[in-house]
Amino acid sequence: MSTIPVPPPDRTPGTTDTPPARKRPGKTGGTVGVTQGGWFVRIAVAVTVLIWLIPAAGVLVTSFRGADDVRTTGWWSALWDPFGTDWTFENYRTALDSGGFANAFLNSLAVTVPATIMPIAVAAFAAYAFSWMEFRGRHLMFVLVVGLMVVPLQMALIPILRLFVGGAEIGGVRLFPDLDLNGSFLGIWLAHTAFGLPLATYLLRNYIGSLPSSIIESARIDGADNFTIFWRLIVPLSVPALAAFGIFQFLWVWNDLLVAYVFLGGTADTRVVTIALANLVGARGQNWQLLTSAAFITMVLPLVVFFSLQRYFVRGLTAGSVKG
Amino acid sequence: MRSRWTLLAIPLLLGAFLAGCGDDDEETPAGDGTPEEGGGDTGSVNILFAGEPDEAAAIQDVIDEMINADAEYEAEFEASGTFEEQLQIRAEGGTLDLAAVPQPGAVQDLAASGVLTSLEDLGFDIAELEETFGEAFLALGEYEGEHYGLPTNINLKSMVWYPKDDFDAAGYEIPETWDDMLALSDQIVADGGTPWCVGFGSEGATGWPATDWMEDIVLRTAGADVYDQWVANEIPFDDPQIVAAAEKFGELLFKEGYVLGGASATPDIAFGDAPLPMFEDEPGCWLHRQASFIDTFFPEDAEPGVDYDWFPLPPIDQEGILFAGELTVIGSNGNRPEVKDFLEKFISDEVQCETGGAAARLSPNVNVAADCYGNESLGRAAEVLAEANEAGTARFDASDLMPAEVGSGSFWTGMVSYVQSGSTDQAASILAEIEASWP
Amino acid sequence: MTQTTTATAPEPSRAWTTVARIAAALAIPIGGFFVLGWLLDFLKDDDANRLVIAVVAIGAGVVGVFALFWAMDTIVDWLPARVRESFRPYVFVGPALAILAVFMVYPVVNTIVISFRDARGDEFVGLDNYEFVFTNTSMLRSIRNTFGWIVIVPLCGVTIGLLFAALADRLRRGEALAKSLIFLPMAISFVGASVTFRLIYDYRPEGFGTNIGLLNAIWMGLGNDPVAWLSQQPWNNLLLMAIMVWMQTGFAMVVLSAAIKSIPDEIIEAARIDGASEMQVFRRIIVPSIVPTIVVVTTYMVINAMKVFDIVFVMGNPESNGTEVIAERMIRWFFISNHDGRGAAIAVVLFVAIIPVMVWNVRKFREQEAMR
Repeated sequence: MSTIPVPPPDRTPGTTDTPPARKRPGKTGGTVGVTQGGWFVRIAVAVTVLIWLIPAAGVLVTSFRGADDVRTTGWWSALWDPFGTDWTFENYRTALDSGGFANAFLNSLAVTVPATIMPIAVAAFAAYAFSWMEFRGRHLMFVLVVGLMVVPLQMALIPILRLFVGGAEIGGVRLFPDLDLNGSFLGIWLAHTAFGLPLATYLLRNYIGSLPSSIIESARIDGADNFTIFWRLIVPLSVPALAAFGIFQFLWVWNDLLVAYVFLGGTADTRVVTIALANLVGARGQNWQLLTSAAFITMVLPLVVFFSLQRYFVRGLTAGSVKG
Repeated sequence: MRSRWTLLAIPLLLGAFLAGCGDDDEETPAGDGTPEEGGGDTGSVNILFAGEPDEAAAIQDVIDEMINADAEYEAEFEASGTFEEQLQIRAEGGTLDLAAVPQPGAVQDLAASGVLTSLEDLGFDIAELEETFGEAFLALGEYEGEHYGLPTNINLKSMVWYPKDDFDAAGYEIPETWDDMLALSDQIVADGGTPWCVGFGSEGATGWPATDWMEDIVLRTAGADVYDQWVANEIPFDDPQIVAAAEKFGELLFKEGYVLGGASATPDIAFGDAPLPMFEDEPGCWLHRQASFIDTFFPEDAEPGVDYDWFPLPPIDQEGILFAGELTVIGSNGNRPEVKDFLEKFISDEVQCETGGAAARLSPNVNVAADCYGNESLGRAAEVLAEANEAGTARFDASDLMPAEVGSGSFWTGMVSYVQSGSTDQAASILAEIEASWP
Repeated sequence: MTQTTTATAPEPSRAWTTVARIAAALAIPIGGFFVLGWLLDFLKDDDANRLVIAVVAIGAGVVGVFALFWAMDTIVDWLPARVRESFRPYVFVGPALAILAVFMVYPVVNTIVISFRDARGDEFVGLDNYEFVFTNTSMLRSIRNTFGWIVIVPLCGVTIGLLFAALADRLRRGEALAKSLIFLPMAISFVGASVTFRLIYDYRPEGFGTNIGLLNAIWMGLGNDPVAWLSQQPWNNLLLMAIMVWMQTGFAMVVLSAAIKSIPDEIIEAARIDGASEMQVFRRIIVPSIVPTIVVVTTYMVINAMKVFDIVFVMGNPESNGTEVIAERMIRWFFISNHDGRGAAIAVVLFVAIIPVMVWNVRKFREQEAMR
């Protein structure tokens, strides 16, 4: 494998230092109109961010207030009168003390990490095949795979559950063995993998398909077979896209309630964090102070993952699509 | 490449940290006791429950003490926020053990789909059960000759709550008839107050409290027999008697100054918020018609019998009492000896007496004495129910008996349209629409 | 497409050979999954420390996948050199197809079949359910509303995302923070988002206490009476769409931002030197260069808008408020009113509605490939 052209290393968006190779006229002065653009830009961005944050701020403030306060006054009044309000950690304590929270957290992890990696792995292989390998019916298959993105997963729950519980047969011929996957982690991994595959394949194919064909051609000329090309060439080049989709899938699986409820159930040994907290809150949804603290607790880990990986993410999904 | 390992490492490290420092709850029912065939299903009994987590926790305590302590299996009460959906999915998917279903109509549907185990199949003696619960209640879960629902809860719906201390201080008296109640309302208006607090908001289920009002009134105007015909659709939904009942409802609801916030605001007021103005120093309202579970929404420091109390909704032309309850069904995964054992213990007099006290649940088991309910007001409710049952004037909530499309669908939305319309003129046409939606 | 990737393999285009290949490629991954299954059933019974189980579960899941692919690839290596590379594509797509066939295609087919049956899913009723879908008032309203969702939400999301990405790109500092804050709503679970917006749209009439909803507080601050926002037809739909825009714009913004940054500097510099204003640079250079990305983002948001359910379901009674959408109707008919036939028919309408979007996408992909 001779030279592998990698995307120019000076593109590191998302970090705070300005890469020297990229000059932005507005930043170094220049024409009058553009400098004014600098202020306009900053104000526009700040206003947008503020608007975007207000809803979340409401939730954050509410999570630290007592139940009676929440029911009787708006959350902003706590901000106008910070010393008069009854701030409390009680809500967080209640949520965390709810029996088996650590257990639920571990279950969430055990569900989310494989359910993130499995679809990426499976989709990456398929995406490569769809974009760079010749075989009959590839267009049709791809359209089918991507078309499945629209299937509401609720329609799939009962058939899949039946398969898990009893297997499937037609006319006495066993098509799918009786594995009793209900309540096991493998069942939910498979379900999440299936639900995430269409989008994963779509996004990854878009990225992989826009890598320069010259790289792949030269590798083939050098005698590399498809698996080697995939493993040694495509995967390293696609790391931004893989990580980017990984974050999406992580967020989605971590915050998911319905699939976990159906395949793992709500009992204390197998339930995940989202279910533990939803149970806390109840059907009538009246305990807003608990709801808000629950929301923030479930948010912490995805945010950590996002912040730590956001450099890849930002460079992410379609950096390749604009080439040529 | 390194990024992938980073991705893995972070959650793993966090997990290790938490597991080390966090509380290590060993609540693993499937692993405890007897892991028989490696499936993890035997040895545990799961009951899907539609109520609040607090209630489920209280019941769980009773179960732990009285059943799990001596048994080889472990029973767990699971409260679900999305009960109907979960019930459907689990029942059809084949993973359901037990579910405490508040709607007998749903029990019928599930039985018809063939996903339930009948009580006979599980080995229950129906005659014995009929003695414990009464034939009527048990018959609600009957489908094609077999019974599919075991009564596990009952609650009284025809209750009017009032702020007792202020009420007595103002010199008001408990009305014995409907007209007395209207007169009382007029009196309150004359004194400058607003008599009624009404709220129908309940997210996707908005409108269900209004159906309770309708049912109460139909029972009291047209009588129990007509009520039965109405439920079975033997008379059309817009039968003149039903229309008359809707108009009677409208007379109260739409009357100027009767309802706090006005009738059109009622669908936007959450049903749990609705009674709260009663507990202010100067009561914002004085009367609130709602079922027995509403006391869990009252302020924590309000004392039953002191700050608030209730009286039964008065009769109009006839006597009548509306009630609702749970029928526990057995899914296809529940056809096991432990499940039967659990059920037998759960419906026994002792356990029902305990849950009555601890979880404030009225028992459909006729042998449970009224003094089991630590709460005097619950005890009274139990008595009212027992009397009405004997007199034959008690009826199960109609919307829970009707087919789901109507009872959990058009009836609710029809009621919302009616209250928003602001006058009784629309009653007939709205009821006709509901009739048209009957499958 | 004139790639010559399979120069060494002959092209036996007889159908049965292809079928045999596909069958083999499917059989291998399915077999692998069964092995994994038995492994994990043993794990489930173990009463060991929770952490150990979790770590083993994670390890097994992750390693399992890679092992599977490696195993399949090795098996293909054992095949005679002649057919090796023509089998390879099926190894690559096999697992994906197998999983999708079982978990998605089968339910879809199942759903289509049920859509022609009655409420229980037993008897055949022909097109009755479809007739219902296109004549019932509530259904028609849901179709109208869904149409609004798929137009307004992607439009707002992509527009705001694009503008914000372009603006943030020009920030000297704080770009990462700004983008992360806009992305934040995506990390909030659905429960969190619904609470968030209930705290904004909440309504309490006179006598029930102060209004704790932000919107009403502002409205009342301007001297008006509080309004039950979620019941105001048809504007309540816009309020609900705002929730989805809030949640999803972060995705659009981040993806578009990456695309903008990939535009070669020289082009932009050249335009600026030629005297183009910022607006012109944006409209004539930036936007046309990232059209493929815009297609991807728009498609994703359109599909999400088509499937929206939770937001509508939880904010009040959709039928009374006139906020029904197709997916919400589907859930209601299928799970709550227990009418399998109608629920399935609505789902099928959804499947069919996606076809134009997919056709558009395929056309774009072919264009892109032709350019390579």
